[in-house]
Amino acid sequence: MSERILIVDDDPNSREIVQTFLESRGYHVETAEDGQAALARLEELKPSLVLLDVMMPGMDGWEVARVIKNHPDFGSTRVVMLTARSDFTDKTEGLRAGADDYIVKPIRLEELAERVEKNLAVRERTA
Amino acid sequence: MKIVARVRDEALRRVIDGVAAALGAEVTDEPIDGDSGEAYNTPVDAMIVELDSTTDVKSLRGQARRRDAALVVACHANRQCADVTTADADDWFVLPVTEEELKLRLRVAMSRASGKNAARRKQDAAELVRYEELLFDKLTGFPTLPVMIERARDLLERRGELTVLYIQFVWYEKIEEIYGWQKLDDVLETTAGALRSFYAEEHQPDENIMMVSHIADDDFILLTHVPSAPAAAERRLREVTQRLEAHLRQQVEIEHGEDIAALCGIYVGASTVFRNPKIRTERLIYRGIREAAQAARGAEQWERTRKVSGLKSTIRDGAVFIEYHPIIVTETEEVYGFEALARGMRRELRSPEILFEVAEEANLVWELSRLLRRRAVEGILDELKEGQYLFLNIDPHDFDDPAFRNLDPADLGIDDPSRVVLEITERTAIKDYPRFQEYLKSFRDRGFRFAVDDAGSGYAGLGSIANLAPDYIKLDISLISNIDTNFLKQNLVETLVQFANTHGAKVVAEGVERREEFETVKQLGVHLTQGFLFHKPRYSGHPDRGGARFQHAGVRND
Repeated sequence: MSERILIVDDDPNSREIVQTFLESRGYHVETAEDGQAALARLEELKPSLVLLDVMMPGMDGWEVARVIKNHPDFGSTRVVMLTARSDFTDKTEGLRAGADDYIVKPIRLEELAERVEKNLAVRERTA
Repeated sequence: MKIVARVRDEALRRVIDGVAAALGAEVTDEPIDGDSGEAYNTPVDAMIVELDSTTDVKSLRGQARRRDAALVVACHANRQCADVTTADADDWFVLPVTEEELKLRLRVAMSRASGKNAARRKQDAAELVRYEELLFDKLTGFPTLPVMIERARDLLERRGELTVLYIQFVWYEKIEEIYGWQKLDDVLETTAGALRSFYAEEHQPDENIMMVSHIADDDFILLTHVPSAPAAAERRLREVTQRLEAHLRQQVEIEHGEDIAALCGIYVGASTVFRNPKIRTERLIYRGIREAAQAARGAEQWERTRKVSGLKSTIRDGAVFIEYHPIIVTETEEVYGFEALARGMRRELRSPEILFEVAEEANLVWELSRLLRRRAVEGILDELKEGQYLFLNIDPHDFDDPAFRNLDPADLGIDDPSRVVLEITERTAIKDYPRFQEYLKSFRDRGFRFAVDDAGSGYAGLGSIANLAPDYIKLDISLISNIDTNFLKQNLVETLVQFANTHGAKVVAEGVERREEFETVKQLGVHLTQGFLFHKPRYSGHPDRGGARFQHAGVRND
């Protein structure tokens, strides 16, 4: 069974590009347009990896990450943040939210593929 | 398969029998207007109902849903069909009907209904979960106050009296800073579990009804009935309170260790209320809760006072000992130096966090710091091998103490200050940076070196690290745990190593517990490593070790 990836991003273009690209790589991809929608569908989708935009209206990406990583069933779900900023403070924020990795926007697709692969490999190894 | 028939039409009844025979189904007749009541609530697969002037299709539909049945409506005329459709029957037909058609209608209706019923069940389940979340605390599973008040009222009315135990949970602020908020949640969960086990062990459920609620974010209420003669009541209550308090503390200590247990205070207060027909029961219960909470706070106050007097005698008698945590050169795994950590000999004053918290309350921070520095140095300086360093923890506030500011290294017995590294923990924001840097410079001029503690914890950003120009950057423990599987942590550590390399500093990874973590920090170029993977700490003047001045513990590489 192919790995399930959930993309959470309020920008529909960005969602579509990432989804199309990852689907072409054989992943099963679902999308959500904000944090609440993502959390509501977590149980149903059971994703192995969540690509999470930091800047979203409503719940921001950090909050969503915090909820996912502290959920008893989803602690092993890999959470990769998509962020426009990548300074030190931003990363320590991600660390406190329990994120596993981050990708700086604008996303380079080869990098995306590499990060996704690496994170899924870790999940496989530690599961 | 079970079919209910509610029909008057003879022809239709015969068709139903024919279909039932073909499908191997059992047919039950019910009165055509039998749309409510227990008798008609048994689950069936399908209901075939003939429409008459009094039929309320909506209520029929509700009944069919409750029975998990598909609803098929028989209409006498085409014009009735619109009503039936809007009322959301699963399927309908116009009389007269053939066996073929009815069979088809039944099949379609049953497949529609099973889909709808499944969807409805799912929605119900979701609603139930939301409802339960409101009524039961997520962390502990205990009922929340509204649920409990309801039960308490019942209990008070039946028994005539009710005892409220208020369990106040106090922690020292630093527990979150040092261990993270998840730790606190864990401790709260342990406390809740301990409450449950106390309840199970100490009381027969049928004899003493007891309910627990998790209120505010950290306190618990427990309602009980302590039956006893009035004269003995108070003594019994005190006894229960003490036993409960001891039980909770013990469980926290068993599961989380002495250090954590010392940072959490658990205090139990009790109050008994009696039924009074003139006073509203709810008000009585709330009053009981308030009184019990006050009693718990009183217990806490008393404990604080006791700790302050304990600290005074600790300082007077020098009742502290020092743990020396080895620091290893990552590349060679040789001992580079030791970090001195203070411990109080009194059980309740064991952890350095508590020692300082109480010292602050008692206005004895400087005295405590002086004692600990002296002890830390005299406990190990003779034992330091050539090229090894002593790491001493310093709070920025220590610089306010003139005795520290004007410290002559010789007074502490330090011949060579360059072998002493002062670790600055920037948990309290440094207000006056220029002055602080002046202090640092004067210590540097005397030969001391500096380390920044807890880098990457969010307290010390890169900017403030640069400002302090440290010789060592100690990484926050949260950066190290599971670093082997977390790319974000790896990236942060890499950044700090690069930063250190360009500024001529060394990076120290604290809290390395697993081989994989060690391999990862090694790969990232972290210069020095500290953690239980390598050594258990050495002790000086530990009370349980016969007061031995220094205990040799061989370097373990397992």
